[in-house]
Amino acid sequence: MLDLAAMRAKIAVLESGGRAGHGVLPLGIEMVDAALPGGLPLGHWHEVIGDGQEAETCAAPAAFAALMASPLARRGEAVWVLRRDDLWAPGLTGLGFPPERLIQVCARDEAEALAAMEDALATVGVAAVFGEVEAVDLTAGRRLQLACEKRGAVALVLKRRPYGGAGKREAAGSTCATRWRVASAPSEPPAGEFGLGAPRFSVALERCRGGRTGAWILEAAGTYSWEASDAPYPLRLVAPLGDRQLAPAPSAHRHAA
Amino acid sequence: MRRLAAVDARAAALYLRPGLKATDALAIVPGLTTAEAEPEADAAALTALADWCVRFSPAVATDPPDGLFLDIAGTDHLWGGEEAMLADLRGRLLGNGLRFRLAIADTAGAAWALAHHGPDGAIALPEGQADLLRPLPPAALRLDPAAAAQIERLGLRRIGQLIDLPRGPLARRFGAQALMRLDQALGRAPEALSFRRPPTPWLARLAFFEPISAPEDMARVTEDVCAKLCARLEAEGRGARRFEIFFHRVDGKVLPLAVGLSLAGREARRIARLFAPKLEIVDPGFGIEAVTLAAYEVETMSGRQVRIETASEAAVEDGLAPLVDRLANRLGSERVWRALPAESHAPELAVRRARPLAEASSARNWDPEAPRPIRLFRRPEPLDQVVALTPDEPPRRFRWRGRVHEVARAEGPERIGEEWWKQAIDDVSVGQVRDYYRVEDQAGARFWVFRAGLYGDPEAPPKWWLHGLFA
Repeated sequence: MLDLAAMRAKIAVLESGGRAGHGVLPLGIEMVDAALPGGLPLGHWHEVIGDGQEAETCAAPAAFAALMASPLARRGEAVWVLRRDDLWAPGLTGLGFPPERLIQVCARDEAEALAAMEDALATVGVAAVFGEVEAVDLTAGRRLQLACEKRGAVALVLKRRPYGGAGKREAAGSTCATRWRVASAPSEPPAGEFGLGAPRFSVALERCRGGRTGAWILEAAGTYSWEASDAPYPLRLVAPLGDRQLAPAPSAHRHAA
Repeated sequence: MRRLAAVDARAAALYLRPGLKATDALAIVPGLTTAEAEPEADAAALTALADWCVRFSPAVATDPPDGLFLDIAGTDHLWGGEEAMLADLRGRLLGNGLRFRLAIADTAGAAWALAHHGPDGAIALPEGQADLLRPLPPAALRLDPAAAAQIERLGLRRIGQLIDLPRGPLARRFGAQALMRLDQALGRAPEALSFRRPPTPWLARLAFFEPISAPEDMARVTEDVCAKLCARLEAEGRGARRFEIFFHRVDGKVLPLAVGLSLAGREARRIARLFAPKLEIVDPGFGIEAVTLAAYEVETMSGRQVRIETASEAAVEDGLAPLVDRLANRLGSERVWRALPAESHAPELAVRRARPLAEASSARNWDPEAPRPIRLFRRPEPLDQVVALTPDEPPRRFRWRGRVHEVARAEGPERIGEEWWKQAIDDVSVGQVRDYYRVEDQAGARFWVFRAGLYGDPEAPPKWWLHGLFA
């Protein structure tokens, strides 16, 4: 007799075309992990995008991606492929991302950036690869996916438009495992304190293979402190957003990670 | 005044000498054919010849107007000795129709003296240059003509006489330069030559009977020459960080290619693979007749030990180092870096780019408690329509890139002084203080803005800038 979890596992194996899965990275937030297949799937590539001005500056999406992948960066090396070299390492330190484990690469064009990402993904010891590119078409997406599967590394594609550029039309289809739309959200300082609170993001999981979509307000846990790099889970839930009827019964979707 | 710059053998036989006035020369030989001197073209030709000589040694220095120095230490064995090497060089130069004189000696000074004033093709035995130099005139010491003439006028017509003189009077009478040149020729004083490439004894060479030009042949000889040099490196427990390969074309042109490694290495296949994508830019022309490979930044490298208990953890030599090498060679080494802290108060100078894998971070990391933006603009962008209530207050509203932001929350100021001690004292003023604020607009976007200058200072009116974006 097949129970639900076993059946699910079987389906996952069929879906992955016979390739063994690489596990997941749980985010430690029950609601988000439940929408995802237990956590961020490893050995896949993910899209993180911003709206409006963020599509050009890519600050909140980059910070969110760095936070999400910081447990991976502590496990192995990370590579960040840039087109504009405005990523600033001290800012990563404050978020708890270890910049001393990060190799930054500045590519001259889109094709070079994607090639560098593929190369890094297929390398032993690299756990996470960030890439700031304008668009990933179906072929490039497929190649990224194959590169991810080689070592089980995670690729985070930060969609970023050149300044003043018109922006390419979104590709019709995409082979990414998840797509996150990230914007910064007003922060809340601790009661009785002035100034800004911990960075908050309004995050929409727009696409999720083997899971469901959702929208939440998340907050970076323990930023701008010496303990930032020790937090087991770098994000915490502030509030769910959107259609609450889709909120799942959490217990049915807990996976061992 | 026009003078003769150079004369050929027949003109010399008619007593024409360089330096003679052109009008006098025409008076002596009425039918003289002259051509304009082209010093730039001569220099370019000399440089081209220096590049061509790379086949004999990577360390070639030009000695304008018409000389070349080759540092052949460690490379003559590729020809089977100095004599065979000299014979090969002679044959190739003759084949190109050049007139020349050759000499080999321990020091650049002695080699120059023998080549210019000694027997052609002289080879001084190690430490034996003094005996060969003795009969040469003092001019062979590369002295300026006035000094050489002065020495000869005093009856010292041979270098041997100079060698026998006491050093003190020699220096007093003829100047320190004469003594220095003598010492350099005899190997008693060092002489620095400006080589077009740093000298290295790590050189491998392959020559072909039949010139090659097919792409697959070029790839194969690249691998072969890498294997040859790497075998030598391995035998001596060394590895190198930089390799340069030279393709010597039949027509005398030399095409160099270079690759760098992030960690010293000596794996022939890996190095050859780094060269592989660059081979297509090498135009073989009528064929490649020889290929040489030089290794630079050679350092001691112990053999790798395989640790059993950490076999599952990737060693840096397996994964990361080849990745960094591939990226750095494809994109350029300045495009691949690891950010390390630098000691500086100016935010834009707090990050230093280091070669990945090259050095461990010894400096303290950045203070995570000071909030810093994730995106920092190389140049701060000016803000306009800034509304701030009082001098020490953060802005209430500002416009950036054509959009107005209403500030909902703000934090600051954090005062950061510019590094005034690095400037001239007259340029220092209070206007170089920056007050940084972290502000959040009503939509939640967080900015790092600063005010340069102070209110109430007519010389430095305050101005607002956006320097970075927070998460």
